[in-house]
Amino acid sequence: MKFIESKLALGLATSLLISSAAFAAEEIQGGAVIAAKPMSSSLVPVTQAMLSASEGDGKHWLHSNGNYAQTRYYPASQIHTGNVGKLKPAFVFQTAVLESMETAPLVVNGVMFLTTSYNHIYAIDAVTGEEFWHYKHKMGAVTTFCCGPNNRGVAALDGKLFMGTLDAKLVALDAKSGKVLWETEIADPELGYSETMAPAAVDGKVLIGTNGGEYGIRGFVKAYDANDGKLLWTFHTIPEKGHEGIWNPNDATNRDMKRDIAAEKAALAKNGGDFYKTLGGGVWMTPAVDTDSKTAFFVVGNPSPDLYGAERPGDNLYTDSIVAVDLNTGAYKWHYQYVAHDVWDLDAVSPPILTDAAGKDGKMRKVVIHGGKTGHIYVHDRVTGELIRFSDAMVPQDGLWTLPTKEGARMNLGANGGVEWSPMAVNPKTRMAYAANLIQPMTYHVEAAAYPGGKLWLGGAFKTIPGVAQTGRISAVNMDTGKIAWEVNTPQPLMGGLLATAGGLVFNRECKGWFKSFYAKNGKELWKFNCGAGANAPAVSYTVNGKQYIAVAAGGNTQLDFKRGNSVFVFALP
Amino acid sequence: MRNVLIVLWLLAIGATALADDAPAKVNTPEACGVCHGIDGNSPAGAFPNLSGQNARYLYLQLKDFKEGRRNDPLMSPIAKQLEKKEMQALAKHFSEQKPKPVSFKADNARAAAGKKIADDALCPMCHLGGFVGQNEIPKVAGQHPEYVRKQLTDFRARNRTNDAGNMTAYSSNLSDDDIENLVHYIGTLD
Repeated sequence: MKFIESKLALGLATSLLISSAAFAAEEIQGGAVIAAKPMSSSLVPVTQAMLSASEGDGKHWLHSNGNYAQTRYYPASQIHTGNVGKLKPAFVFQTAVLESMETAPLVVNGVMFLTTSYNHIYAIDAVTGEEFWHYKHKMGAVTTFCCGPNNRGVAALDGKLFMGTLDAKLVALDAKSGKVLWETEIADPELGYSETMAPAAVDGKVLIGTNGGEYGIRGFVKAYDANDGKLLWTFHTIPEKGHEGIWNPNDATNRDMKRDIAAEKAALAKNGGDFYKTLGGGVWMTPAVDTDSKTAFFVVGNPSPDLYGAERPGDNLYTDSIVAVDLNTGAYKWHYQYVAHDVWDLDAVSPPILTDAAGKDGKMRKVVIHGGKTGHIYVHDRVTGELIRFSDAMVPQDGLWTLPTKEGARMNLGANGGVEWSPMAVNPKTRMAYAANLIQPMTYHVEAAAYPGGKLWLGGAFKTIPGVAQTGRISAVNMDTGKIAWEVNTPQPLMGGLLATAGGLVFNRECKGWFKSFYAKNGKELWKFNCGAGANAPAVSYTVNGKQYIAVAAGGNTQLDFKRGNSVFVFALP
Repeated sequence: MRNVLIVLWLLAIGATALADDAPAKVNTPEACGVCHGIDGNSPAGAFPNLSGQNARYLYLQLKDFKEGRRNDPLMSPIAKQLEKKEMQALAKHFSEQKPKPVSFKADNARAAAGKKIADDALCPMCHLGGFVGQNEIPKVAGQHPEYVRKQLTDFRARNRTNDAGNMTAYSSNLSDDDIENLVHYIGTLD
């Protein structure tokens, strides 16, 4: 004890001698700072017409998920099942940020725009990897995010790029120079709002949701004027009235969720429904847009607190739901909830995809599909939201809807899914949707917890089970039947998403660096390359001067602690 | 020992007040530094190292002390006197200090067992690999073992409950031996 006290006295003496002026900090600077090479003269402003035509565009990659429908299906076939085995790296672009990469780069006429953790953007030559400019967002004092300082990409429109930031801002940049054109605060980061998703740009608007389902936020999707950042409309994912819903005892697959609805009703009657202000419901992946019907489709994340449901009686609408709103006004069109009164953190998060699929009568219909953390792919009528079918379970679900307990209760479906944020891909020819799954059995623990003032608010814990392996699975699901066509097991859980191409290929990446290509029809592995760090970002494809490229970022993953890297790998045929 | 330290702290603050001929100031790094070290490297395990800690975590803990979500006989009355800007400035100051190594000889077998507990409980999901922390989630690497042990024990006993049920749930199944193993594992991290 004496030793400690004498050390304390020494510390005291030292403290009086040191001036606080000695502690200066370096700050990240805003603005484009490095001009290594003049911008390519081939860069053109991305017009609305180009964005709308993306589904048939075998040249650029203009949306984080390929097109407004978010199919992640690239319609060029130069690289195909017969030659993919010869795919070689064309170049590797190293960023200056060694941290998780979840970016889906955009490519406009041979210029690639990629993002990194902490909101850097690089503009590079998509053929040589040479850098045109590098933008570092000047981060505000407050950032609040649970699962890594990620960013999943930018949106482009009319010569501008749009990025959401960890300090909950929306920034518009000049695509040519990387100079900031405008910046606006989306919500107060002090309360747990932050941005990691790629926005969607359409009809002069920028659509963006928010993170924060673990922080007691009130979720939303907002639309901003692409020219000046003025807020045009807000759709709150948690309605002020009626969030209790229909007291649904079952999930979307009609399985009993073991809710004590009488107790929930009593709690609502006693305490009221004011908790809508902190009920969560983040929208943290990019909306799909139907430009014909002027409808935006998005999925809504988990309620807050994640595991402690007594705080929030009712269905907690529109958490864990798919929602359609009017693109011009943000007005509600329809919703469909997958998990009412979620107490397992089973967000709806993987971005919805607009495609066609057989109705119950066998006739083709316009649908919107979503791959759930639940391990099902849900197929909805695009106009009414009707659930046409749900797929076979892609992952084990033993013990489904076992309620969390104080000591911890096991459920073989983990809190990351099923399908987490990873975007799916579809191939209209094979009729398949391709999904990247995690298989992580967990125990779920609940703890009573009042709103903690903008801090992480789980109301319990989820833990993996000692000695039980955590793995992954690529699942190919027939959209017309819901049957699983093929699956490939992976040694580690999958997080990052897929790419399908007209060359009959599916590209997937793994957390130990493997980037692999599969035969889209049967899942046969055709090619692989190890990127040396976790490949946890969705791949993209583009064509320049008649040559097709495939690009993927390998930066590892914070949430699952996969090996970090800092590079984008670009591949082409020799 | 803690009482002795509190007396020392009050004496130090009193001395500063006399010198300045003004009320005692608690909003300076010097005042905090009496216990935590002005460079955030505390000389005693009863007081956490603040050097290199995430500013967001430090600010939110001060805020929780001020607003009563976290309680401590020494910190609560201090935090009650602090304004938001002062708390943020202090948090920034200590987050920018360079951590000094803590002297601790970890037992290899205990450290290995502790790593397994940490991995199974998904600690890195919030604290990140190497327990370096992020935002409001504290850096635990480089912390005094005594302080780490006390926090885990306090969470388990629900003496500390400003974690919104996260750490209380994670620690609920830990035995004393598990906690000791975690302390040794974290003791191997810088």
